[in-house]
Amino acid sequence: MLHAVRRTGLVFFPAYDWAISPSHPEREERLLYTQDQVLEEGLLDIDGIIEYRVRPAGFEDIRRIHFCVPDEAAVTTESHLISAGGCLVAADAVLKGEVESAFALVRPPGHHAMRVVHGNRGFCNINNEAVMIEYIREKYGIRRVAIVDTDCHHGDGSQDIYWHDPNTLFISIHQDGRTLYPGSGFPHETGGPNAQGMTINIPLPPQTGEEGFLYVLEELVMPLLEKFEPELVINSAGQDNHFNDPITNMNFSARGYAALNARLRPDIAVLEGGYAVENALPYVNVGIIMAMAGMDTSCVKEPNYDTDYRPQPSEITGYIADLVDRLRGVFLEGGLKTVPCEEGEVVQRSRDIYYDTDNIHERQHEKIRCCKACPGAFSIASTSNRGQHILAVHVPLGACRACRDIGSAWFEEGTRGAFTHVYLQDRVRGVYEKT
Amino acid sequence: MILGLDVGGTQTDAVLIQEGRVVAAAKTPTTGDLLATLRIALENTLGHVDPGRLVRMAFSTTMATNAIVEDRLDDAGMIVSSGPGLNPEWFSVGPSYHVVDGCLDHQGFETKPLDRSAVMNAASSILNAGIPVLGVVSKFSVRNPWHELQAADWVGHSFSHVAMGHRISGALNFPRRIATTYLNAALYRLHKNFSDALIHILREKGLSGPRYLLKPDGGTIDLDMSIQRPAQTAQSGPAASVMGALALDGCEGVTLVLDVGGTTTDMSVVIDGTPLLKPLGIRLGPYQTLIRSLLTHSIGIGGDSEVRMAQDGKLKIGPVRRGEPAGFGGPAPTPTDAMITLGLLDAGKRDVSRLAMEKVGETAGWDGAATAERILQGMAEAIAASARAFVYDINAQPVYTIHEVLADQRVEPTSVLIIGGPAPQIAGYIGKALGLPCRFPRHYGVANAVGAAVARVTSEITLQADTQRGSVIISEAAVENDIDAGFTMDQAMSLGRAVLCRQAAINGADEKGLEISILERQAFTMIRGYMRTGRNIRLKMGITPGLIPEWKRGG
Repeated sequence: MLHAVRRTGLVFFPAYDWAISPSHPEREERLLYTQDQVLEEGLLDIDGIIEYRVRPAGFEDIRRIHFCVPDEAAVTTESHLISAGGCLVAADAVLKGEVESAFALVRPPGHHAMRVVHGNRGFCNINNEAVMIEYIREKYGIRRVAIVDTDCHHGDGSQDIYWHDPNTLFISIHQDGRTLYPGSGFPHETGGPNAQGMTINIPLPPQTGEEGFLYVLEELVMPLLEKFEPELVINSAGQDNHFNDPITNMNFSARGYAALNARLRPDIAVLEGGYAVENALPYVNVGIIMAMAGMDTSCVKEPNYDTDYRPQPSEITGYIADLVDRLRGVFLEGGLKTVPCEEGEVVQRSRDIYYDTDNIHERQHEKIRCCKACPGAFSIASTSNRGQHILAVHVPLGACRACRDIGSAWFEEGTRGAFTHVYLQDRVRGVYEKT
Repeated sequence: MILGLDVGGTQTDAVLIQEGRVVAAAKTPTTGDLLATLRIALENTLGHVDPGRLVRMAFSTTMATNAIVEDRLDDAGMIVSSGPGLNPEWFSVGPSYHVVDGCLDHQGFETKPLDRSAVMNAASSILNAGIPVLGVVSKFSVRNPWHELQAADWVGHSFSHVAMGHRISGALNFPRRIATTYLNAALYRLHKNFSDALIHILREKGLSGPRYLLKPDGGTIDLDMSIQRPAQTAQSGPAASVMGALALDGCEGVTLVLDVGGTTTDMSVVIDGTPLLKPLGIRLGPYQTLIRSLLTHSIGIGGDSEVRMAQDGKLKIGPVRRGEPAGFGGPAPTPTDAMITLGLLDAGKRDVSRLAMEKVGETAGWDGAATAERILQGMAEAIAASARAFVYDINAQPVYTIHEVLADQRVEPTSVLIIGGPAPQIAGYIGKALGLPCRFPRHYGVANAVGAAVARVTSEITLQADTQRGSVIISEAAVENDIDAGFTMDQAMSLGRAVLCRQAAINGADEKGLEISILERQAFTMIRGYMRTGRNIRLKMGITPGLIPEWKRGG
């Protein structure tokens, strides 16, 4: 009987009865062939690979992280709750020590979902990783978490959620935003005033091959993780960097994904995108599962690899070497230009957010209290073209007295304003209110 | 009149059933010579019955199981084609295992042709090693059997028997397909010899009615047909006990069935008369297989388990069986001795049993009766704990649709049915330990033989239609037809039904009034680049385990 070198948990939720729309890439069929391949390979018979049953997440799990407009029920379907819940099952398996790592192969994905949710962006409503991380923090008392987002699209939702959190290192490796949705994720996006340098974006040019990904991992991502010393590493495992993917332009293979996971050794991986449902996902997922379990992946290969895979062009290799060099200078060698931020000062920013799937335009105005003692309280006033005008106040875990007070004050003030709803997310007291 | 015969580890039970009732039962010790045991059991049971009145015979035997666990399998050569994935060398089995080039993808499209010269070379090397039977397996052969058929066509004529992977089961699992195909090849000759000898004995006794073997899924198969897939007759004992419980009781609601034997206790769950099946397949010795089976769990605790007082002052029961209970002259105290001591069982030498009990309880300062009482409680609690873990595991099975998650249909037993020798003595204790009503049926001692006798033929088909590939496949029944783009679920259903009925008839079922269950029914629209390119239809239907119509419940 085959043995896994590392005990690995699998949560598989293909949601065979859920789709965004009948011909949408995010539809019933998406994980069908992955399941076929996983079953045919006999992966679940391997001693030390343990499949878990999913359960739905509750609204209380979502409220720790999102401000859902007007409420959770309006922006989620059952499949969103089960997808997020599948991540909680994976988290429990790892944190209880039943397995060394776990992979949640769930649909729909979540990494484009931001803190305020008016609807669906980039096929996402609920940020699965964030729901999971805050559940872990609440239940297991873990503080320092690193997210490595290897989806081909910038993990803008996760970046938004952890923009102000100095305890979460967010690293996104993605196809350059000048060439792909959502058009963000540039190196100058480095985190809010209290968490400067905690967001790291690594935009790679189209046609980046396995060589480039593994180079970035080795030269930049691993040293960043070593420096941050996280208690937990989460991989947002999007699989759309694959050379067969229909909606991206990258050049990664199943074995490349396997090598990446073998090196990264995430505690928990969560499936994000990946829409080559027939000729990439089955092989990539098998490769990742085997790599997580510490098994030899040298026989994992797409049937068309030998004929269709094109090695990475040399100019791309040069470009990536320069980029990595520059980012090392910024994030590892003290070159980060920080913006001075006075204790107690309230910093503001405004921005527009577009929800491509649901065609929602959102306008946000955000205020955050600069704080040396805690991650800092913040508020977001958000207006959408659906007629909602809300105020959301967040008091972070470990908030200092001053931040708790300003959070309460903002909330009080908000309730007297002309908002359709005012939300309070008080992570210190565990109070989640909405008017 | 129907004959049912169950070969157990220590005893072979036989029953005669007439007009839906058990009219005779006999127990015969099982010896090392399986055929001699069968012959004696038949003589003990049939006595003066007119052989011409027997209209059906069903056997649950240990032939295949014993050959596997005792490692008495014939040599079989294997030719395997894999393509990408896990390293196929990891699943090497038998003395002559050959991996050849060739690949099908998950849809059944050929992505690399089967390497003819490699197949020929592998076959020569197997034949040169003096091995006359062959197994051929390719990855995803249940989506397209082409490569297995090609290999069999190229080299099959040189072998006395060729087992093909896609004929075993429509389920996906390449390593299990390899192991199961190997077992079918390696058991072929042994099973053929056994069945020829059995038929000979039956003829000798003038018995000529239809003959069936019990399978681990609780169904039966015609003895002659079983020769093609001998591994599927292995490990049918636990299935016999479940079917026996079902026959004698009916099992309304959610019933936990416990078969308390001498060495082990087997457990299973029956929901409204339908036993739960194991999701994939049974494990036989070191082999994970695709052989469908009932979901059963076995623990090493039974009436003859050794009882001892451990260092920590706690009673330990099992998992070892040293032999007969002390009261029967055996070497160690057992729960059966406890029953004898308490007067629950009138057998053996009561004073010897009581003495054995006193000795066990000596250090704790308990007398014989107190010790016996604690042993039976301990035995019941151990069985109860194991049963709770079994039910917990059933409820932890993964599900794959929103519907299933929300339905969250948890199995929660509402009663316990006990069969096996000590059923009347232990029922009260187990009922108390589980907090559930506990009962035992008439003929509890020969329930397995009853189960074998009245279990109906089961059969299952797995249909996969792919309009993009233009084919519909029913792997187990060797059906591969071309279809056009308009092939519908309705067409799939009617094809599936027709093939299932045909298959069941071949396996020995009476074609009238077959109860067909839909086990899986899914259709996916396949879309490439926002264009609909086809439909993928998946259908699994079967004749689930149940009882022949002639049987009258309760016996």
